[in-house]
Amino acid sequence: MVGPIYIFVVALFVAFLTPFFDKISRKMAITMLLFALGFMTYVAGSWLYQFIGGAQTTMIYTAGFKPPVSISLQLGFNESVFILMINVVAFFTGIYLLDYFKKMSVYSIALFLLMVMGLNGMVMTRDFFNLFVFSEIASIATYSLIAFEKNLKSFTAGFKYLIAGSIASSLFLVGVIYLYRITGTLNIDTMIASSSLLVGKGSFVAIFLLFIALIIELKPFPANGWAIDVYEAVNPGIAAMISGAVVAASYFVLAKALPAFGPEWYSVVAWIGIITFVGSNLLGIKQEKSRRLLGYSSLGQVGLLMVILGFSDILGEKRDFIAFAMIISHFFAKAGLFWIAGIIKKDNMKDWSILRRKPMLLVLFGTFIFALIGFPPFPSFFGKWELIMGFMKNGLYLWVAFILLSSFFEGLYLFRWFGYALKLDDNDVKELTVGASKFIPTLVFGVALYGFGYYMGTFVDSAKNLNYIPLIFIAFIGLIDVFPAWIKNTFSIAGVVAYSYMIYPNFQDDFLKMIFLFIFLGGAVITLFGGYYAKGRRAGFHAMALTMFAGLLMLVEASNLMQLFYGWELMSIGSYFLLIRGKKSMPHGLSYMLFSLGGAYAIMYGFGLAYAGSGTFDLIALKNISIFPALAYSLMLIGFMTKTASIGLHVWLPGAHGEAVADIHFMASAILLKAGVYGIIIVLLAMGTETSYAKTILYVLGWVGAISALVGNLTAVFQESAKRLLAWSSIGQIGYIIFALASMSYIGWVGGLFYTIAHFLYKGILFSVIGGIALKLGTAYMYKMGGLIKRMPFSFVAVLMAIITLAGIPPLMGFTGKWLFYNIILTKELFFQGIIVMVSGMIAFLYLYRLIDTIFLGQLKDEHRNVKEISVALLIPVYAMLGVIMYFSIFPTKLLKPLSQLAQKYFPENAMTFANGTAITKFGYFNGTSIFIVVMVIFAVVVSWLAYKTRGFHTVKQFNIVYSGESPDRPETTHFAWNFLAGYRKGLGFIVEPYFDRFWDWISDAVHGIADQARRIYTGNGQTYALQIIVYTVVVYFFVNGGF
Amino acid sequence: MESSLSKFGWALLTIFIVLNYGLVMRASMQKIRARVSRRVGVRFYQFYIDLIKAYSIRTHLNHGVMYYLGPVFRLTGGLGMLMFIPVIYGSMYFQNYSSSGDLILVLYFFFFGTLGMALGAGEGGNPNAAIGVSRGLSQMSVSELPLIISVVSVAAQFQTLSITEIVAAQQGGFMNWVLFSNPLAFATGFLALLASFAVGPFGIIIAPQEIPIGPPTEYGGSSMGVLMTNRSIFPVAKLILYTNLFLGGATSWIELFVKTFLFFFLFSFVGMVFPRFRTEQSVDWFLKVPLVLGVITLIVTSILY
Repeated sequence: MVGPIYIFVVALFVAFLTPFFDKISRKMAITMLLFALGFMTYVAGSWLYQFIGGAQTTMIYTAGFKPPVSISLQLGFNESVFILMINVVAFFTGIYLLDYFKKMSVYSIALFLLMVMGLNGMVMTRDFFNLFVFSEIASIATYSLIAFEKNLKSFTAGFKYLIAGSIASSLFLVGVIYLYRITGTLNIDTMIASSSLLVGKGSFVAIFLLFIALIIELKPFPANGWAIDVYEAVNPGIAAMISGAVVAASYFVLAKALPAFGPEWYSVVAWIGIITFVGSNLLGIKQEKSRRLLGYSSLGQVGLLMVILGFSDILGEKRDFIAFAMIISHFFAKAGLFWIAGIIKKDNMKDWSILRRKPMLLVLFGTFIFALIGFPPFPSFFGKWELIMGFMKNGLYLWVAFILLSSFFEGLYLFRWFGYALKLDDNDVKELTVGASKFIPTLVFGVALYGFGYYMGTFVDSAKNLNYIPLIFIAFIGLIDVFPAWIKNTFSIAGVVAYSYMIYPNFQDDFLKMIFLFIFLGGAVITLFGGYYAKGRRAGFHAMALTMFAGLLMLVEASNLMQLFYGWELMSIGSYFLLIRGKKSMPHGLSYMLFSLGGAYAIMYGFGLAYAGSGTFDLIALKNISIFPALAYSLMLIGFMTKTASIGLHVWLPGAHGEAVADIHFMASAILLKAGVYGIIIVLLAMGTETSYAKTILYVLGWVGAISALVGNLTAVFQESAKRLLAWSSIGQIGYIIFALASMSYIGWVGGLFYTIAHFLYKGILFSVIGGIALKLGTAYMYKMGGLIKRMPFSFVAVLMAIITLAGIPPLMGFTGKWLFYNIILTKELFFQGIIVMVSGMIAFLYLYRLIDTIFLGQLKDEHRNVKEISVALLIPVYAMLGVIMYFSIFPTKLLKPLSQLAQKYFPENAMTFANGTAITKFGYFNGTSIFIVVMVIFAVVVSWLAYKTRGFHTVKQFNIVYSGESPDRPETTHFAWNFLAGYRKGLGFIVEPYFDRFWDWISDAVHGIADQARRIYTGNGQTYALQIIVYTVVVYFFVNGGF
Repeated sequence: MESSLSKFGWALLTIFIVLNYGLVMRASMQKIRARVSRRVGVRFYQFYIDLIKAYSIRTHLNHGVMYYLGPVFRLTGGLGMLMFIPVIYGSMYFQNYSSSGDLILVLYFFFFGTLGMALGAGEGGNPNAAIGVSRGLSQMSVSELPLIISVVSVAAQFQTLSITEIVAAQQGGFMNWVLFSNPLAFATGFLALLASFAVGPFGIIIAPQEIPIGPPTEYGGSSMGVLMTNRSIFPVAKLILYTNLFLGGATSWIELFVKTFLFFFLFSFVGMVFPRFRTEQSVDWFLKVPLVLGVITLIVTSILY
């Protein structure tokens, strides 16, 4: 074992000798730096290893004296973790800064080493005066490093840092002196022991000065303008150190010192923390410069850490886990992001599209962003979960609301940035070159995030039996991403099939879960099969599609709330990447993600209330929620409805789906939306119908479903793009399902679940075919098509069958759905909502006809005379689904019977009966088989009659029509697709004016406006910043002290 | 086997009677309309001649498969609807295939022919057909609203969706008819049906002055014959349904003829008196008068039943 004191010895030794090494060569100096950092990392690591093995905390005193004369250090488990983090980031930053050190003055090497040493000391020391010394070493080294760069921005930023640091140091020193005067010691431990001496005004002021100095070092909002300038101006390598190592050390120092101050100071920290967290993230929204943005985010994260620290007593032994999970995510992610910023050398967020030149960097960028926001599988996910649940358990409802709101703001600006990188035009961008010295540290930190994600998960009870098999498989697919699409496709399908086979026995008795597994996994196979149409590599598609399906799977498999949430978030990630693949999807991807994020937080809050009341994460916790049950259930429903895109929460869908390509459109609409339906089912089952709030919620939900149906279908009528038409149609169709489920009755659930399956089938067909056609023709605008029945007969038949099903026309299975709906209306006497739903069904008829007519019928366009049928890869699954539709059309009871049994489990009353293939309810009856036979016989007779009468008919040319004596020669002259239902729109268009879009635009404008106004307090003027710190100190003093 | 054969035989007989009745009734109505405008009008057998003529034309022009199948869908829709309705209450012979499904089946099977015909017309490639379809769909979607309200109100009144049971509940005197026992539902339904029969104000779908003929523009010969056959069956099927719903059904063919004729006369009467709407005017009108009436009907229904 190497003694920890050697960390300081080696650091000082190498730092002082650096000029001499430099005389030999600059390479020598840099090698020695890396050697020193490596050695320090080794020492820290080996001690941590010892502590994990069970070693005891050790104390080290230099020179045989006691403090304050000598230096006293403590090294335990916590210290070793933090110094390891600091040294690791320092080591990799050292590598990252190789070029920098080659160019800059040799003193920069020495200063860097001193900074790292200072940070090590801050963590290990147990003495206030030594703390002052070490933090001064670190600070002075940092100022110098910042000001070292020869540009005005950096220089002034360093100077502002110096001003702020000096104020903090002065306060600290005065505070230390007073404390020593009162307690006669500077050792933290003895001071904790003698806390009885710390009474009266004098002690209060002493503690306050010390306290506020430490807080200022943590850059609290709003007295932190100087810090933002630092993050923006400084070399990204150094910024990574400040954001990673300095933050970690400062947090540790505050955590160490707080017990000495007494319990009343914790709540002050928490308040300062939440204000910083909310303020920084709010102000970040309007930021366009990437590094400044990272600065805001870093400050916000520190705020959150302060909140965690401030509620140490409530979080108890979980505090260290939570803090560590947050710090480690922040640490890796921020360092990585600053490093990438340094590679790109572009400060405007919009220039980050250059990252697409280096896909690996883009993947790492995504990793860091998702880790920062707290998505699975990263450590911050578990940290945030435990934090929120811990807070909820202790009744900190408002705090949680603020934390989630602020996290949402953070997600807003980070995802906007990520969207720019993914999708913004990069036509005039030059090549991006990345040196190994800059790439390797970034890669290591990115990979580490996944490793820690897994590792941290093992500490969370409710995540213990998380199923990692799908994730491992996704990692495998991600690794073979360089291969052509068809290979990955084959592997993916094989994986899904094998996994389905594996888990089938676990679910075969639970028909409800089977339905959704059929939709999710069956849908996965079908859509992936359709993916064979794609040529080339289709970079990243398979991994992300599988991520979405894995998330969907976890939803169904989940055995507790945390796993449900894990699956939900995983699905959001996958679907985000799929949806943003479309050519014009950037804004839609962002709005999708924001609604997902908002929805997820709503769900999390609801889960938190459920947990707070019951004390368990088991799914049973959702039943009989005792704390704010109406709020909890409403929030969960709203959260799940962000995915079903119910009216008001639907704004993201038309764009996101409308721009997606064929098979992704299928995944997003026919499959993904069902995740929301599944969530709603879980909530409704738990909520029941008895309580008065449940009645109100169900009533509102029923109306939401009905209005979604009306507005969705009516808007679909007026779309010019076939894909947008289908997207709006989905909003309407899911509205039916919600309406049916909200009726909370036997017949309603049979109807809702029936529609869930039917919608999957017919929408699957429509999305695949229409998507395939759009792909073939390069447009989804219906007025650019026409007459394609001659070129694409198979597509036409499939679409025809699908729309007959959707419209609910007998004899196909859609009629069963309509029939069930009339039974719901009459059974539950939901006349008004019900009529709206049924009329929406009539409206569907309009856009369906428009869809098939304008695409397939009418005059064929000149440019489409040689267009071919859509890909067989898409047609095979389409016809497979058509087969299922035909089967259930002829034998509807095969589906109705199991659904009936399932619904009877929850609602035993008024069950329908079956006799010889006839389904009988209290009100009516129908026999699908008989209807089918009658219709087919009549059809056959009529068609034979006509065939007999028209034998020897001849088919005429395209333009041979009866047309007012004219003879048209170009298809356009006869086309009526554009604004097809003009009169209807004049009559009814007002209903579907985008009121909700305007509402959300207004909200967005308001938030941006507030952020924009508020951030003007950061003037960039050092004097103002100094004044802010002083004023801040005084204000905090007043608050804590309650006056003078 | 025998029973299903005889059932088939009775079904054929039903179709035969309805077809002949339809041909004569429509001609008579045309005659009345002509007399109102002081013209001589057609003979009562005029439509027989038309039908024979259409079926006798040898030439048949074809625009494609869907175009060819359009009239087939149309007639299947008409015949199927007729088959799913119990025609004569109490008769064991003229129930046809009404055991396959209830009122909802009939209401939705309505669209089978409409959709097929619209698609066939679409493939014909004549913009006039598309214009007619577009107008028809627009009008249909709003006129269905009061119709659904009316149907739901009747179903709620008798707590059943079975047409036979609805008729049964109206037996025992005309005061039991929905026309008198639930006049609001009748009124709402009646207004909705004006569009269904495309009379007068709502006839823009097939408005020769504006667009030559509408959806059937491209059709001729036997295809036209099939469409004309349907034109004599489909309206009668609808009239039988409405008679069942509102006028207590019929226990004999004679009663059926009288009731349906009167019903049809009411529609034609409106058609003869009022001028034609443009599409948006008719959409607008349906959202005013019948919808308001419908909402009142619903309120009353939800209170009473």
